Amino acid sequence: MSLKKFFFYFRIYFIIIVILAVVLIILNMKNSDGAYVRTNQDCATAERVFDYADVLTDAEEEQLRKLIAKSELETGCDIVLVTLNESLKEYAERYEDQLGPLYTSEYVMVYADNFYDENNFGFNRVHGDGVLLLDNWYREADGRIYSWLSTCGRVEERFSSDMIDSLLNDALENVDEDPYGAYRKYVEIFTREMKDGIHIPVWAVILTSGILTVFFLCMHLADYSNRKTVDENTYLAPEGAVRMKKKEDLFLRKTVVKRKREVSNGGGGGGRSSGGGGHHISSGGVSHGGGGHSR
Amino acid sequence: MIYKCQSCGGNVVYDPGLRKMHCPYCDGIGTHLREECRGMEVCQNCGAPVDAGDYRSAVKCEYCGHYNIFEERIEKEYQPRFILPFRLGKKDAVEKIMKKCGSRLFMPETFLSEASLEKMEGSYVPFWLYDMTADCRYNGTGTKKRVWVSGDTEYTETSYYQVIREMEADFEKLPVDASIAMNDKIMDLMEPYQYEELTDFNPEYMSGFLAEVYNQPAEELGDRANEKVRADAKVMLHRTMNEYATLTPLEGNIYLKNRVEDYALLPVWWYRYRYRDKDYDFFVNGQTGKVVGKMPLSGLRALAYSGTFFACVTTILMLIRAILER
Repeated sequence: MSLKKFFFYFRIYFIIIVILAVVLIILNMKNSDGAYVRTNQDCATAERVFDYADVLTDAEEEQLRKLIAKSELETGCDIVLVTLNESLKEYAERYEDQLGPLYTSEYVMVYADNFYDENNFGFNRVHGDGVLLLDNWYREADGRIYSWLSTCGRVEERFSSDMIDSLLNDALENVDEDPYGAYRKYVEIFTREMKDGIHIPVWAVILTSGILTVFFLCMHLADYSNRKTVDENTYLAPEGAVRMKKKEDLFLRKTVVKRKREVSNGGGGGGRSSGGGGHHISSGGVSHGGGGHSR
Repeated sequence: MIYKCQSCGGNVVYDPGLRKMHCPYCDGIGTHLREECRGMEVCQNCGAPVDAGDYRSAVKCEYCGHYNIFEERIEKEYQPRFILPFRLGKKDAVEKIMKKCGSRLFMPETFLSEASLEKMEGSYVPFWLYDMTADCRYNGTGTKKRVWVSGDTEYTETSYYQVIREMEADFEKLPVDASIAMNDKIMDLMEPYQYEELTDFNPEYMSGFLAEVYNQPAEELGDRANEKVRADAKVMLHRTMNEYATLTPLEGNIYLKNRVEDYALLPVWWYRYRYRDKDYDFFVNGQTGKVVGKMPLSGLRALAYSGTFFACVTTILMLIRAILER
């Protein structure tokens, strides 16, 4: 009897749990490895790690390739890494007719976009979903080392300029001391951001249900109190019960206090754009997003 | 006295639903005949001993179930001026309790069982109903505030007033229970009663219920009544001074005068539930149906329900998280 009531009370919760569990199972079955299927057959290369600057050991490259292969299936995006150690000034200037005057920081952009386009990268189709990190170790004339993250397809749609900046800053933080670690981070951060980007920490879930449970308890315990149902008028005699015999409000004096107001510079910056960061068209006529980093 | 049925000899009781004297044995209506009691020691019907205690004016015989009413405790100086007859029968009272408590989760399983509810008894509780006039005098300083901004300067203007009030308020039939057995706070919560149904005392209304004679004289309980009137009058007085932001009294007195009182019996259903060696009393206003009482709380159930709730919500959130994070 008691158990019956108990189950009856929680029936809706149990039903929701079952439905959600079924949904989750079905979703997981639909693409069993959590994997996308590659549909671009015209990619010029199977290589993803182009270490022209030779900052990685062979073993490290191999590790990166493995990580990239796994992440590509999880995100449905081509993930490419290019390291260089040469000035891109001359290379980029050749494209100025087409792209207009270029800043030093944009040389890497031209190379990155072209590299992506020329190799027909893109997971779903040629010039489709994918990302490319170009890290040029050469110090350009202005004494800085430039990197570029080129985004394309779904990646371009998802990654705002802010997201690109934060990815580059986080990943390349210690690239000089530990290039392998930095490039790993690039792949990992990209993968995390790309996989629907929602991360709910477990503690937040527990905290939420904890708070809800406290509400639940309070709500049900509140029932146990008794409320007063009379007020000051309940026992007044029916008619003419209240007689105001004297009611005077005599003005005496007034005081005025002045106070300087502190002007606050309130308000804040605008909203954060979502996706489409750094949109431009490459020399090959392909739409790219992207953002740079220098050190 | 006992009200006996002229047709079948059974105990005729007052039926709140019919609002008539009704014989539950033969279903006769108005067939009652009053039979005087022989003292307060034995049941008038079967002769078994009954316990009148110090204050009981109506009891139920434990052996034959007949309701005995003791004349000496309802006559002469003990005769109530008014009685408010029961409007809710036992069934209605049970329903009210069910309605209020039925949905409660943390309640012991047996709390609303028929067996325990069947033991519920209706009882007329002795009350003193006080009439009095509150004479309120107030003299003090009130302030009003006005704030405005001009340029980058904020101005706060405070105006001071002398506030004088003289107000009289008549209170009528303010009830104070005169039963030691009844908890004062609980009885206060049972209020209000609808006095329109208050009628001149007639012992017939007592048949079928328990009752007490007043335990304390009106004088003794006068202070409680005064206190209540003072509190009400104070609220009313201050309501006339709502517009002031602050009030500093120089003089603020409430004088009470013209106090008179009447003795009345008011109807209450009393349900006592024993849980883990502790008594929990539940009261239902026999007229309005308001339910007052402290509910027994089953710690085990509270724990089981909130634990399960926590587990369910956590599971649901974790599943949603898993789906979103895919």
